[in-house]
Amino acid sequence: MGARTIDSNSAAVLATGLVKHYTGSEGTVEAVRGVDLEVDREEIFGFLGPNGAGKSTTVRMLTTLLSITSGCVKVAGVDVARDPAEARRRIGVALQEAGLDPRQTGRELLVLHGQLFGLGKAAARERAEQLLALVGLEDAADRVIKGYSGGMQRRLDLAAALVHEPEVLFLDEPTTGLDPASRLTIWEELRRINSRGTTVFLTTQYLEEADQLCDRLAIIDDGQIVREGTPEGLKADLRDRDGTSEVTLEDVFLDATGRTRERAAGEVQEVAA
Amino acid sequence: MSSTIALGRRSLREAVRQPDALFMTMFIPLFFLVVNTGQAADIFPSDVTEFLEGQGYGAFQLPITLLLAASFGMAAMFLVEEIEDGYFDKLRAIPIPRYSIVLGRLVAEGAKGIVLSSVIVLVALPFGITIASGPLGFVLLVVLSALWGVVYVGFMQLIAMKTRSAAATNSGGLIFFPLLFLTPNFVPRDMLTEPMEVAATLNPVTYLMEALRSLILVDLDWEKILPGFAVVAALGAVMLVLNVRMIKSYD
Repeated sequence: MGARTIDSNSAAVLATGLVKHYTGSEGTVEAVRGVDLEVDREEIFGFLGPNGAGKSTTVRMLTTLLSITSGCVKVAGVDVARDPAEARRRIGVALQEAGLDPRQTGRELLVLHGQLFGLGKAAARERAEQLLALVGLEDAADRVIKGYSGGMQRRLDLAAALVHEPEVLFLDEPTTGLDPASRLTIWEELRRINSRGTTVFLTTQYLEEADQLCDRLAIIDDGQIVREGTPEGLKADLRDRDGTSEVTLEDVFLDATGRTRERAAGEVQEVAA
Repeated sequence: MSSTIALGRRSLREAVRQPDALFMTMFIPLFFLVVNTGQAADIFPSDVTEFLEGQGYGAFQLPITLLLAASFGMAAMFLVEEIEDGYFDKLRAIPIPRYSIVLGRLVAEGAKGIVLSSVIVLVALPFGITIASGPLGFVLLVVLSALWGVVYVGFMQLIAMKTRSAAATNSGGLIFFPLLFLTPNFVPRDMLTEPMEVAATLNPVTYLMEALRSLILVDLDWEKILPGFAVVAALGAVMLVLNVRMIKSYD
């Protein structure tokens, strides 16, 4: 892991010593154990890890949805624990499994979100039109969401997260369960969103996706960051250490998490969109 | 406040798009009105039963029908569905006051309750039931019934947010349900057996039921009406505070 200079004002996401403990009847579980992260503005940052490694818990803390046991998080320069409302104004969130209201139409949902972000009714309608065009859902705009396919729901979820033009977009496994064509569509949309200046923080179980999309990535295992860098840099680092000529991101992942290919099967997947 | 109204409108659209749920909300209470009246009307003939104030037994049963209908609100089930599906978290990630997320549903439930109570009373009128307290009494009747619906849904929302489970929320409502029946719902309180009279006297729903009943059977009797409104005001305030506390500490 290369040393990076941390600037709390310029970083899109800055987490220092992030810890989350859950206390239950069976004692205390340390889900996240001292995570440090720095994400630059306008980059696509990938956050990888096996199931149960602490990915979603970390994202939920970064997005104000989960209390922080200890540590500090700043998103777009705002301390999420001290000023969660201001942090929410600056972030867009699309969590695992598109969370949408199935009884509303796509248009109604986007207009509602626009209004909740403070837009007037006319402005919210106009913004909904723009977003429906952006994610290619104009034809389905007036159908209830219950009838949408998985890919359409993901695209609408993405659009809902963009209503207020957030500085940082958090996506938790945005392509899980999608067919290759839908996955490609999401990738294209993410590149387009990022090219307009939005920082994208992405968790994924698909290593090919991380390799294709991310400028930099971090791998978390057992609640701690075990690798961080550019995909090429991480591969080069392993190549240098192992002396092998062909290194994939999957090799990096297995090396970082101490897993065998057999054990990793089902936890992460190599997919080609 | 605008976010509460926007979310309230959404909840009303949600209710309208689930007509089968609305139908059941109406059907079961009306079914009990017909069955209970059919079973007991001959025992309590209107011409010799003083507590009926000259009306049929159906008029005496109408309050429990209204309270039942108000207690079949689906808002908490829709909420728990959102928790399970993740839309609740999406709303929590928006910079709106936390209270508006729960209050939006309660406001919608109140509006829906006014419409449903009005329809039930209007359905009952052709069957010889009259609202003896007049137009103002009619308004108070539907408002009081709707406010009870808000209290009930507030309680159910607490269970939904605490358990985050549809099954637990569904069965959790049963905890509150017996309160509807530990009341003088078949005869006036002074005609109950002593243990039941004690239970009914301790049960706040009794005062709500007696307020509704007085609005149907007699002219405006504020001594009966005000305790009913006091009960929904007190319980409503408790539910509101607990709902807001629950969503603020929701993790």
